Amino acid sequence: MRRPQRYHRAPMHRYPRWPLHVMLVAISFAMLLPFYWVLKTSLTGENIFVYPPSILPHHPQPFYYVDVWYFIPFARFLLNSVVVSVLAIVANVVFNAMAAYSLTKNFAGRGWTITLLLSCMMIPFQTTIVPAYLITGKLGLLNSYLGLALPTFSTIVCIFVYKASFDAVPNSLVDAARIDGLSEFRILLQIMLPLSTSAIATNVILAFIWSWNNFLWPLIVVRDQAMQTLPLGLSRFLSDHENTTGALYAFCIMVLAPGIALFLMAQKEFIRGLTSGATKG
Amino acid sequence: MAGRTRRILLSRFVVVPTACMVVVIIWNAYVAAHADGVVTGRVVDGSGHAIADATVRMMEQNFTTNSQRGAARTDANGAFRFDDNRSHSIQLRAEKEGVGRSDQRAVRLYFRSQHIDLRQPLVLKGPPQ
Repeated sequence: MRRPQRYHRAPMHRYPRWPLHVMLVAISFAMLLPFYWVLKTSLTGENIFVYPPSILPHHPQPFYYVDVWYFIPFARFLLNSVVVSVLAIVANVVFNAMAAYSLTKNFAGRGWTITLLLSCMMIPFQTTIVPAYLITGKLGLLNSYLGLALPTFSTIVCIFVYKASFDAVPNSLVDAARIDGLSEFRILLQIMLPLSTSAIATNVILAFIWSWNNFLWPLIVVRDQAMQTLPLGLSRFLSDHENTTGALYAFCIMVLAPGIALFLMAQKEFIRGLTSGATKG
Repeated sequence: MAGRTRRILLSRFVVVPTACMVVVIIWNAYVAAHADGVVTGRVVDGSGHAIADATVRMMEQNFTTNSQRGAARTDANGAFRFDDNRSHSIQLRAEKEGVGRSDQRAVRLYFRSQHIDLRQPLVLKGPPQ
């Protein structure tokens, strides 16, 4: 019986790829090591300056997390952070999508508007913090959730992420929707946004992480402890309790966990959203 | 339409938060059922005999402070009981005049007021010779 002839696929790469993979694994390991160290310390409370350092945790236990939950108003900080982040995410998706949709249209001064937005990206937030504070104060929003979220309501980077995604939608589809009688708002809502889920995911993740980790703005705007967010709580914890290594690291893990979980859930869409439009044209 | 709804419901953006929420609800139900503030245990001497009428002091531990919360006396079987623990981190110490005093034992609980029955008794050690 004649054996079926085997066809070997031509090698796609000239050199073996395993050295590259080994290098990437080593780099990944080096980047994950600090996170592992934080996690290990949060479970053991071992002093980080102990020599020789132990790689594996000895007698891990969750009680430092319990300490953090009860000894400081963690639940209140968590609630504040969640409320501010949700406000920032919703406002980001709405405002950025509308701004990006307008930039896909031809209008007088469009080029200047894009240039202005791009140049505004170069200005660090610290330089605009005084006018931002004065405006928030005039609006009567100091020490409020809305005031905490206000500066993160729109981000220029995400406007361009949406714009790249909207540019990839064929004009014929938009024209067909217009002929069918859809208003511009409904075209955005029913045509553009459903086709731009990656951009939405990118915006949601970035808005969440920026809002969640924001420290400087809440530090300036918040006056009551009841309105403090998690980064402020962490800073306060550091200043109030000195010799509490395990609890401090447990607090860090509890602050980091939601952002990491959200990123792991949406990383595929996040990367797709950032790279969409990169190969267009 | 049904397929789309099913796809949305089974997506990780729905499944993961829902699973987290279920875990939180179950945990809170467990906490509510076991947070009666009862701490029980026994006091024995070095040879394992129950010590009656010993005084057991309970202290609440904080990051910075350690304050006494209450005291109880052991019965004829050496058993003691506190009904009003409101902390998740306590320390217990037993003593009886003429017999000795135990080490101060830190008891860490998984949540405030957790019902706990100490497996290891507090052991009174005689005064140093």
